[in-house]
Amino acid sequence: MIPNKASAPYTKKVLFPDKKPPSKQMKSSTLTNAAGLSSLITFTILLLAWISGFASRLFAVIRFESIIHEFDPWFNYRATAYMVQHGFYNFLNWFDERAWYPLGRIVGGTVYPGLMITSGTIHYILHSLNIPIHIRDICVFLAPIFSGLTAISTYLLTKELWSAGAGLFAACFIAIVPGYISRSVAGSYDNEGIAIFALQFTYYLWVKSVKTGSIFWASMTALSYFYMVSAWGGYVFIINLIPFHVFALLVMNRYSNRLFTSYTTFYILGLLLSMQIPFVGFQPIRTSEHMAAGGVFGLLIFVAALRYLRTVLTKSEMKYFGGVVAVTAAILLLILIALTYTGVVAPWSGRFYSLWDTGYAKIHIPIIASVSEHQPTTWFSFFFDLQILVTTFPVGLWYCIKHINDERVFVILYAISAVYFAGVMVRLMLTLTPVVCMLAGVAFSGLLELYLKEEDRENGDREGDGSEEESEEERERSPGRALYDKAGKLRRMKHERPKGSGDGLGANLRNGVVIGILMLLMMFTVHCTWVTSNAYSSPSIVLASYSNDGGKSILDDFREAYYWLAQNTPNDARVMSWWDYGYQIAGMANRTTLVDNNTWNNSHIALVGKAMSSNESAAYEIMTSLDVDYVLVIFGGMIGYSGDDVNKFLWMVRIAEGEHPHDIRESDYFTERGEFRVDSEGSPTLLNSLMYKLSYYRFGEVKIDYRSPSGYDRTRNAEIGNKNFQLTYLEEAYTTEHWLVRIYRVKKPDEFNRPRIPISERTITRRTNSYISKKTARRKKGFIKGRPTVVKGQKPQRRTKN
Amino acid sequence: MACGTLRALISLAVVVLASRAITLAVPNANVEPELVLKNVERNIDLQSQLTKITTKVVLENGGKSPMRSFLFAIDDKQKEGLSYIGAHTREAGRAALKVSKSEVKEHPDKLFYQIELKDSLPPGRSVSVEVEVVSTHELVPHPKEIIQKEKQLVRYTGNLYLYSPYPVLKQSTMVVFPSRNIESYTKIKPVSQTESTITYGPYDKRAPFSSEELAVHFENNSKFLTVTRLERVIEISHWGNIAVEETINLLHTGALLKGSFSRYEYARESKSGEASVQSFDTILPAAASDVYYRDEIGNISTSHARIKKDSVELNLRPRFPLFGGWKTRYTVGYNVPSYEYLFHSGDQYTLEMRLLDHVFDDMVVDELIVKIILPEGSRDIELILPYAATRLPDSLHYTYLDTTGRPVISVTKKNLVENHIQNFRLRYTFPRLLMLQEPLLVAVALYLLFLMVIVYVRLDFSIDKDEASESKLRIAGQCEKVLAAQDRRVSSYNDLDDQLVYLKANKDANAFLTAVKSINQEYKNATSAIAELAQKLKTESSDVYERVMELQRYDRILKDLYNQQQTLYVDKLIPGKVGRQPFIEAEAAISKKKEECVEKINGIVKSLQ
Repeated sequence: MIPNKASAPYTKKVLFPDKKPPSKQMKSSTLTNAAGLSSLITFTILLLAWISGFASRLFAVIRFESIIHEFDPWFNYRATAYMVQHGFYNFLNWFDERAWYPLGRIVGGTVYPGLMITSGTIHYILHSLNIPIHIRDICVFLAPIFSGLTAISTYLLTKELWSAGAGLFAACFIAIVPGYISRSVAGSYDNEGIAIFALQFTYYLWVKSVKTGSIFWASMTALSYFYMVSAWGGYVFIINLIPFHVFALLVMNRYSNRLFTSYTTFYILGLLLSMQIPFVGFQPIRTSEHMAAGGVFGLLIFVAALRYLRTVLTKSEMKYFGGVVAVTAAILLLILIALTYTGVVAPWSGRFYSLWDTGYAKIHIPIIASVSEHQPTTWFSFFFDLQILVTTFPVGLWYCIKHINDERVFVILYAISAVYFAGVMVRLMLTLTPVVCMLAGVAFSGLLELYLKEEDRENGDREGDGSEEESEEERERSPGRALYDKAGKLRRMKHERPKGSGDGLGANLRNGVVIGILMLLMMFTVHCTWVTSNAYSSPSIVLASYSNDGGKSILDDFREAYYWLAQNTPNDARVMSWWDYGYQIAGMANRTTLVDNNTWNNSHIALVGKAMSSNESAAYEIMTSLDVDYVLVIFGGMIGYSGDDVNKFLWMVRIAEGEHPHDIRESDYFTERGEFRVDSEGSPTLLNSLMYKLSYYRFGEVKIDYRSPSGYDRTRNAEIGNKNFQLTYLEEAYTTEHWLVRIYRVKKPDEFNRPRIPISERTITRRTNSYISKKTARRKKGFIKGRPTVVKGQKPQRRTKN
Repeated sequence: MACGTLRALISLAVVVLASRAITLAVPNANVEPELVLKNVERNIDLQSQLTKITTKVVLENGGKSPMRSFLFAIDDKQKEGLSYIGAHTREAGRAALKVSKSEVKEHPDKLFYQIELKDSLPPGRSVSVEVEVVSTHELVPHPKEIIQKEKQLVRYTGNLYLYSPYPVLKQSTMVVFPSRNIESYTKIKPVSQTESTITYGPYDKRAPFSSEELAVHFENNSKFLTVTRLERVIEISHWGNIAVEETINLLHTGALLKGSFSRYEYARESKSGEASVQSFDTILPAAASDVYYRDEIGNISTSHARIKKDSVELNLRPRFPLFGGWKTRYTVGYNVPSYEYLFHSGDQYTLEMRLLDHVFDDMVVDELIVKIILPEGSRDIELILPYAATRLPDSLHYTYLDTTGRPVISVTKKNLVENHIQNFRLRYTFPRLLMLQEPLLVAVALYLLFLMVIVYVRLDFSIDKDEASESKLRIAGQCEKVLAAQDRRVSSYNDLDDQLVYLKANKDANAFLTAVKSINQEYKNATSAIAELAQKLKTESSDVYERVMELQRYDRILKDLYNQQQTLYVDKLIPGKVGRQPFIEAEAAISKKKEECVEKINGIVKSLQ
């Protein structure tokens, strides 16, 4: 794959022996030092992969600015900033009273702190060197930097599994593949950004430890696993895949002492370390997700014991022993089931069930189903995210199955399980991507090994040139290599004539294939760049639109609204919005929110959903009981932004219905024909719901252009059905320039009982002017007409007409 | 630890330095009884949010001795908002006069400014002087709260007469409004209104300190914006750049917005929200480059920079329009080349820059904090301010590649207006050799890094010796040497081949033999080297040793073949003892054997690799 071009030029035109260049010998021994050269090439390729991976993630920064993207990253950024400001221990003890009002959130115990610690450490080191980089910039660029580390760990893992050449391919693939870029562009400051690195590195160390059987590597695996646990909830994937690997090896009768050493060391250390993370706590021994690891641990010890006993006991004794074992295993299983029933061991969580049954979440946990990234993956997105790799990785998988060994079993299991999970959830495409890159690397390297190597020999043959170009793989594979690492490259004798190519591939065919492969790779690069640039590089809090003449205009409504909240509302104001915007409000506006993207309390979210889907007066009761000061809704009807709250509204209804089935019914929000429409044919419940009113308040007067009627919603392409209504309990506090964000203030009870009349329209009866006093200079005393005469100690008498 | 102590010491020194606070010695003055103000024309400009009162005074010295200065009194109402006072002559040059605060024994409760005349005023003569007084926050919105649609009305209460320690013979006051919408005004005759101007007077002689309330209530929709806090950071780099960054807290101090804000009305109705501020212009120096406009949550995309001949005009739009009582906060920063502001002779530097720069027209700055960050190692710092301001304790600032920290000079002042845009001067000493410090620091750090890598690579940190792999490495090393020697041998064969071909062509046996001699010498050296290495290998690995011996064996055969070929050429071909056909046959036989031999050798060589 990597032709060794630096081999010493060997000329045979020397006719006069005394004119022989004296340095020739030296040259051939140092410059062509294959080990040095191949490590130089490896280093260069990995460095370039790092740089190109980093660079292609910077679209958003260059187009917009260095800013945190989307939703979850805002929380991570806020938490990181808090940690940097207040220190690590205060961060662990942080009770965030600005979230989930009035419940609050114990942040330290409900986050994976790996991300914050990583960037906090970088910040600390830089600042102790007097490099005053703002923590925001560290957060923004963390994921692109870690993508380089991911590329390197992928290289290492693939190198262990197959060859260095395949590793280089895999590293280059993972550096630019959109499936991974989608979660690691600059500004996407999320757990996945560092977790994929931790994942790949843990797997590398695991494969290494299985290969060597050394306690050192197994302990390193456990440490890396610890980092992974601290970084992402996806660590469950590791703690199930590795036992699965061990189990598969046992079933395939590939038990070895290396396996025993590495797994037992890893399991015990990893278990203890993972329990150090506050958020994980005792889960590793108390939830079903982690039970497989424990079971395999027992099984492995059992197998090891059995093997030992086999050397000691006779065959008949063993038979007897087998029965004992079966009974013990059955008892253990029963105990586990009993523990699960009694509640000591938690059963599978709902999120886990949704991995096996894609319809499960929709019925039981609408809040999970409402997130777009939890939807099943379409074929389109497989191709979109992986392009050519999705077709080549089965080839790599086939190679691995054909040349099976202990560690290739691992990659096969990895591939199969990741394909399954990626099919279930779009989000898990992320775990599939690395293994696809690795196996596609294997496939491409295998192909090029075959075609490129032969071509070189052919060339050498034709030109009669003694210099031999050797591909990386060939050198890697040649049997002598493994023994002698540093051997120099030897010049072949001039009169050596390799016998014609054995496999009968013509030069044209080879060239054609190689060019074809190169074309594919080039197309892949183009596709990756295009996808990254167009699909994954939008910060989503700043929207850009392009006019017909190519000019770019920026819609900065989100920040406009959040900054308005930050500057012009009381510091303790409570803002109600749908949970999607909770993290952004907390991060940018620094105001108290009711619900946010950490959807830990379903009933609280349902309450907000209920408020949004009820009518104004019912909603007002909920809002006053929750002390809401401001309500924030996203409305895209003015500019045609489709991700607004009206389009999310049905999920609010569904989630509210899940908790309050008597008050909210989803069917009420559909027309009789089962349609969800906002125009005059829409259901009256919808047209009078709070969300509808807040979205469309005074929108009925807006005429966007001359052709369309007033109040024409561009997102839903309909003229709204309920125009010209007034709000009783709320008032418009702020609406952004493009109406994208609308903020309403909830009135206090004394403000709405009497509707306010402008002073100019008030009719004030001025007593002092209209009343003509009967007082004169003499009669100064006033009187009250018809005053009852009150006598002390007697009831006032009823007046009688006289 | 040492660094910390040092830092503590420095901060101590800084505190000591700063404690010599600037105390203004207020001079005492007397009211000259002979001085008369012959004519006073006052112009009260209420067009913006500021109150700008220009007073044209004709002084007459009624006494016997010449006078050098006169007093200007500020009445109690104006005391609070007074921001700037300046005076100049009314002659062609409009030379500025020195104005200083002073106290008068007879009137300890009043505020006086002493204005020094350009030339002393001889008895009986008169002189004309113009005094400009700017005060802030004197226009009070009334009503205090308005809804979005309403116009903003403000009230001004002032003095109808000049508040003066001297008798005034004749005076008139002109009040200029932004529009002709005047709700009400004090009617003390003679008074007349034309368009947006009201003229009071002329009034005849008034006693010293006479006062009559002047109250006007009028529409004013100009920008009632107050910079509640302006932090200006000037960072000097001796590499040719000065970075300026201003963090500005803005508050709309007009009538508060009552009720709801309606975007619909704001966008559709031009009358709506007249008193709100949507954007304003900031004028930056002409050399300003890399301008940025941002806040805590990022870049504010709504700004335009227009580059003019003598300035850069920045049209800033806050993220949201500012209504009464709304506030915002932003940062504007830019770079200017240092040659325009920083001058030096040897190690002596002088920085001359604006203490306060333009934010928007008719601005009000409630609090200004200026921080000047000097390069690391600057000392003997001397600050000359254009007007009195409080110097804050010096501090240290650490940024890229700093070791001891950069000295920071901080100055603060309250209540400023546009008239305060004036230059300060900062003198300091900076040894220019210190400029090399930072590049050297980087170089040394990199040097140490490489040194460490070199040392690390060359040292063995393993705690036990791995015999097997070490011997493997040794064998590999030996093999490499063997292969290198073999390489030499191959090249001598190749040379030999060349010579044979040459010989066949020109049949010069003597030349050939001399050439062969040296080739053979080379060959012998290589062979003996391999033999030596083989002996060494014997102890390490018998397997490799055997392969090397095999190599030697085949090589000997090959050499024999060459010798045969040589004899064939020299002894048979050259003298012509052999016919063409037998010669070709013999040569073919030899080369066939040679090829077989070479193949075997190559096989061994490959296995050794």
